[in-house]
Amino acid sequence: MKIGLEMHFQLPTKSKLFCSCSTEGAEPNTHICPTCLGFPGSRPALNRKALEYGLMITKFLNCEINERIWFSRKTYFYPDLPKNFQITMYESPLGEHGYYDLNGKRIGIWRVHIEEDPGRIKRVGKSGDEVSLIDYNRSGVPLVEIVSAPDMSSPAEARDFVAELLVELRHLVGLSASDEQVARCDANISVGEERVEVKNILGLKNLERALNYEVSRQTKMLAAGKEIIRETRAFDEERKVTMPARKKEMEEEYGYIGEPDLGEYNVGEFTNGLVLPETPIKRAARLQRQYGINAVTAKQIVITSWGMADLFEHLCEKIEPDKVVPKLLGPITSNWTAIEQRLDDNMRAQICRVIENDINGTITDSEARRAIATIAEGGNHVAEERTVVADELVISINEFLDAHPETIKDAKSNPKAANSVIGHVMKATKGKFQSKEIVEAVKKELEKRP
Amino acid sequence: MSVSIDDARLRAINDKYRIFNQLIDRESMEADDSSSFTFSAKDNLCTREFQARAGSKILEGYRPPFDATPVRKLREAGGLLLGKTNMDEFGFGTFSTNSGFDIPLNPFDTGRACGGSSGGAAAAAALIEGHVALGVSTGGSISAPASFCGVFGLTPTYGRVSRYGLIDYGNSLDKVGLLSRSMGDIKMFLPVISGSDPKDPTSCTQPRIQISQRKIKRLALPKEALANISPEVESTFRYALEKMSLELGIAVHEVSMPSLRFAMPAYYILATTEASTNLARYCGMRFGVPEKDVSQHFNDFFSGVRSECFGQEAKRRILLGTFCRMVGFRDKYYLKSLAVRQLITKEYRSVFDEHDLIVTPTMPFVAPKFDEIAKMRPLEMYSADFLTIPPNLTGLPHLSAPCGYVGPMPVGMQFVAPHWDESGLISMGEEWERVFQLKTPEVMQ
Amino acid sequence: MDIEKVKRVAKVARLELTDEELKKFAQDLEDILNNFSVLDEAPGLTEYDFNPVPVNDVLREDQVGQEFDPAMLRAMMDTYEDYVRGPKLS
Repeated sequence: MKIGLEMHFQLPTKSKLFCSCSTEGAEPNTHICPTCLGFPGSRPALNRKALEYGLMITKFLNCEINERIWFSRKTYFYPDLPKNFQITMYESPLGEHGYYDLNGKRIGIWRVHIEEDPGRIKRVGKSGDEVSLIDYNRSGVPLVEIVSAPDMSSPAEARDFVAELLVELRHLVGLSASDEQVARCDANISVGEERVEVKNILGLKNLERALNYEVSRQTKMLAAGKEIIRETRAFDEERKVTMPARKKEMEEEYGYIGEPDLGEYNVGEFTNGLVLPETPIKRAARLQRQYGINAVTAKQIVITSWGMADLFEHLCEKIEPDKVVPKLLGPITSNWTAIEQRLDDNMRAQICRVIENDINGTITDSEARRAIATIAEGGNHVAEERTVVADELVISINEFLDAHPETIKDAKSNPKAANSVIGHVMKATKGKFQSKEIVEAVKKELEKRP
Repeated sequence: MSVSIDDARLRAINDKYRIFNQLIDRESMEADDSSSFTFSAKDNLCTREFQARAGSKILEGYRPPFDATPVRKLREAGGLLLGKTNMDEFGFGTFSTNSGFDIPLNPFDTGRACGGSSGGAAAAAALIEGHVALGVSTGGSISAPASFCGVFGLTPTYGRVSRYGLIDYGNSLDKVGLLSRSMGDIKMFLPVISGSDPKDPTSCTQPRIQISQRKIKRLALPKEALANISPEVESTFRYALEKMSLELGIAVHEVSMPSLRFAMPAYYILATTEASTNLARYCGMRFGVPEKDVSQHFNDFFSGVRSECFGQEAKRRILLGTFCRMVGFRDKYYLKSLAVRQLITKEYRSVFDEHDLIVTPTMPFVAPKFDEIAKMRPLEMYSADFLTIPPNLTGLPHLSAPCGYVGPMPVGMQFVAPHWDESGLISMGEEWERVFQLKTPEVMQ
Repeated sequence: MDIEKVKRVAKVARLELTDEELKKFAQDLEDILNNFSVLDEAPGLTEYDFNPVPVNDVLREDQVGQEFDPAMLRAMMDTYEDYVRGPKLS
């Protein structure tokens, strides 16, 4: 089975690709101007940030960068396309022949480029009789297009690929919004020899569903000895099936030419000088290698929060990673929202101390858990801990002494008499307190009793 | 200095020569005493107070929300915009006879064409004193009408003047320029309309314009330019060269430029491929003539209004341009033409190594009669541009100057300079102007 | 340049042509393209420029700016509840 994907993600620039209209959501047709409406006499001007984001993504995907790039016109007629041509990149993508390592498997990246989005069509009326209402807010918004090689072998793998890519790109350039809104995919899938294309799939869940349906459909056909036709299909979100795409009246001829209004761009120097920040999945892989933790843990740490991964690495400077992990996945995670808000050097030091104390036996595991919760709320580890200890322990000891007054008398002449108290209290407090602490407290309480 | 216009006279001139399709109505406008000169804008330049139709019925009703940058700059310099001048539809033509509105008439003989596609602009420059006309050239649309109407027409280097607000014909070929009876006006207003404009990226890599007088000494005359021109034009042209030699001490050397034979096909292919994409937006939506029947399938919706409103020449060029960029033909036509542009530019550069400017006649004949034009086949019309096409294809600045008359009809000669050397053209034009007896058309009383 | 080819090109360009027009344009295009065959004698290139003068690295900063009132632009177009009206899609 071979699956390849063509993905479109909106780049998080403030203004559109070729004009200074805002890219934010708004009432229909409010972020518009002559350029993104295609008015005669208007002209494009390229957004620097969009180009930079595109180049960062291209470099991140290990592509060979094209030194010299230019834009092209892809001409076709559709109501959502203001100029009836789209300014895209045809012969000179930003980069080619790249790859992405998905859990050790290399997925080829054929090309990466940027282009403008058309407007958004709202269909009104009965199916088959629909007219269009168009909102040009989206017209001219910058998109990055990433085309992969057909290197994926299952729908789940395809979904994981896009999910991971989104995590990485979100950190790299700041792709916003949920996975559902952001990921627009066209998929190519062949179970047998022939390739079927499914276009315009929105979101990860639908991607996996559409591909699963295709796998099942193609497999059934092959089993029945039927031939699979090479065709383009669409995914019906409601019925969760793929259907042959509506027959277009005609085959479009894009007739690509260069876009003279923009000229060309020499991007080699800039891209070579780019230092990309470490992205989550890559960081997880490094944590796994560097600290000997397992892959699942590493990913969980990084995906929970960047700050948590930072804290992990900080703690590992002083403490064995395998001792840090349980605390991290346990009380630090459960209190993370509070910790994240107030995290500073003092808090880091306190958390570090708690874990160290737990390791060397000064406090129990449960004490450590409570301590971290306290620290998260802004409290202090040492002082309050003692108070809590004192109350419960004292109560337990005195309960026993009240029930067994002869122990008090015995203990005055025989120190070993205290052992029964100690033993009972230990059982009763179920290991909350260290033995040393219990011995001390019992001694103290006995002394108090006449 | 405040400009004075006799509105009645202007209207009468326009009624006769059909220069403007939209003319200022000063009675209904506030009096503007701050204007120091008048100018006109070719109908493919956007202005807020007039419609911009680029000579095409499909844009009827389009009232732009902005001024084209060259228009804005002339206004800021104190100019009063008189109106929009008639032109060939979208610039497709050599005689302004492909206009979707009125066809302008030659100021020297109303039975003859003004030339095109900036026909109205040239007529305005010839007929209105102290007037500077904004024209646009893609393949020679400033030079041709300047030559036929006996005025100076300067086409700047591609990228010198911002094209923001210009309704596109060919984005790598269009240039906004000036037509006027006097070189003084051209010298004054070229720097005004020039300069980097962030709204047009192709205007942003120019060296700053600097007009200064210098002595032009050596001209090159490609022998290819003398083939296929009428004997009257040739003799008028040669007489002018002799005059330059005797009175201005300018030497003319014959050179050979064999790559010029590729210029016309390369030009028409690049121009029409670009135009066929520029014109795709005219489909009955958003601006121009609306297609009201939304119950039609979008392909029919689009085809209907386009077929009804585009003229024959527009359709022909759209077909040609669409074809030349289709799979299977794109390499042979479109990409090859890009290569040819570079080839011809290189050849020009080697000529400029040894010469200040290149000189040729502007057009192979004087302004033809309308009934002669009606008999011309497309290829014949395209071939009429063979002298103006090479500098336009390569984006080189050029100046058409009146150099003589055949009977009443003007003949023009064209100077071509290296990229960005408008200064050399202006020096040449001014020198020539001093020794040439310019005739103005006899305007009716 | 046969009629079928012109029909196809016209369809791509969204032009409805009469039979007469098809015939005329087929002939025109044939004449023109024959004339253009001289291009075959010119050398080709491997790298292309799309402008006659260099236009390099012209960029606009990523800043939001609204020069035109959207209500004014909407008023120029055929709208329904602020959406632009368009034709049937299928």
